[in-house]
Amino acid sequence: MVQLGSRLLKGYRGGHVVIRFALGGCTNRPFFRIVAAHSRRARDGKYLEQLGCLDPLPNARGEKVAGLNLERLRHWLGCGAQLSRPAEKLLGLAGFLPLHPMTVTGAERLRRRRRAQEAAVPPVAGGLQQPGEKP
Amino acid sequence: MAALGAWGTAVQRGRLWGAARALWGWRRPQRALGQDAGKKKDAKPSFTDEAVQNLLYKMTGLDLQKVFRPVKQELKPPKYKLLTEAQLEEATKKAIKEAKEKLTMPPVLDEREPIDDVLAEDKILDGIETTKYIFTDLTYSIPHRERFIVVREPNGVLRKATWEERDRMIQIFFPKEGRRVIPQAVFKDEHLVTVFQQDRHEDILNMCIAQFEPDSADYIRIHHRTYDDIEKHAKYDLLRSTRHFGGMVWYLVNRKKTDGLLIDMIHRDLLDDATSLITLYHMLHPECQSAKEAEERKLQGVDLIKVFAKTESQKEGYIQLALQAYEEAMATSTGS
Repeated sequence: MVQLGSRLLKGYRGGHVVIRFALGGCTNRPFFRIVAAHSRRARDGKYLEQLGCLDPLPNARGEKVAGLNLERLRHWLGCGAQLSRPAEKLLGLAGFLPLHPMTVTGAERLRRRRRAQEAAVPPVAGGLQQPGEKP
Repeated sequence: MAALGAWGTAVQRGRLWGAARALWGWRRPQRALGQDAGKKKDAKPSFTDEAVQNLLYKMTGLDLQKVFRPVKQELKPPKYKLLTEAQLEEATKKAIKEAKEKLTMPPVLDEREPIDDVLAEDKILDGIETTKYIFTDLTYSIPHRERFIVVREPNGVLRKATWEERDRMIQIFFPKEGRRVIPQAVFKDEHLVTVFQQDRHEDILNMCIAQFEPDSADYIRIHHRTYDDIEKHAKYDLLRSTRHFGGMVWYLVNRKKTDGLLIDMIHRDLLDDATSLITLYHMLHPECQSAKEAEERKLQGVDLIKVFAKTESQKEGYIQLALQAYEEAMATSTGS
């Protein structure tokens, strides 16, 4: 038991409580647990409390299922916990927090990229038709 | 069955309304049956009135052999006890009390209104994600009816989840015994036919109560199909002395299809049940001619049935025949 003590009763210098995703699951099958943990702990290590879960793969109905224990989330936020960026984005999508600015920025960038790709495609198609038109 | 466990623990007052509130966390006021949406609530008795409940309960009957028939359980060798007369009486009384609890009628409610509420519309997110997200609030202390379950669609709309989505999510995170996340195929109409052919109406109704909420469309549809099939083939005895009998009688009386049931009761010499059925009919349809005549002349017993047969029923001939057979049987038994 003395051997376990040093690993379980770890004391850190500094650090704070964060609410972040802990990755679990198997190969090619991720599963995230939304967790309140010390910031210096390992990503999948010992946490203070599990506040929910997220399944990143869509189910048979085409839905990504997420559960959030809002009462305990409010408690930890009240205790001064920080949020990781993916956690903030997820809560923005859920409607608990306002939409994250990076979500908006990412959406705009994706739109811009798609528009650029669509604009790039027609001139190539026009160029390819020329050999066919002139026999 | 295991699914009956939730029902077995209910109800000090022994009243249906208390059971519905305790188990489904309901706070809405009492609702009338869907058919009579136009009439006032005070004018029309509803399923949960004491008078109606008493009548339905009397008609259900109390066949201890059927209520306590062996349910599929772990095999245990039977236990034999040696009792005096007084102890046997006490044991019988205890059995009757337990049977009464087992016979608590499941609620009859209107179909629930579909949920159609949009919380936010974010056009910026339109077309970015390919799948939708369902978020469930996992707070332990809130009742399931008040739980927040929202869906973020790929077009950026944040809306409340539909009833089916809600039921699925609640079953995933807070599993209830006897209920599956995706309802079984046996509940589809084409498969219900097979179930009815095997005379397993009671089993399918028990499964339906375990699987669906009492105000969901599927629950109401399956119950109505079962009652229609029973009425078509006159298999009323399958549900007698079970907790579904009251619901069936309520359904038939509301749709004025009571003739088959009445004939069945007279054939089995259950005259008291027949009179209770007609009293219930008069309570629900006070404007019909038979009700007015009964009110005027204060009819009781066989006369009530005769008046009802003449005025309200479609199968008057059969009822008269059944009554004649009953009276002859009474005459021969008293004579001999």
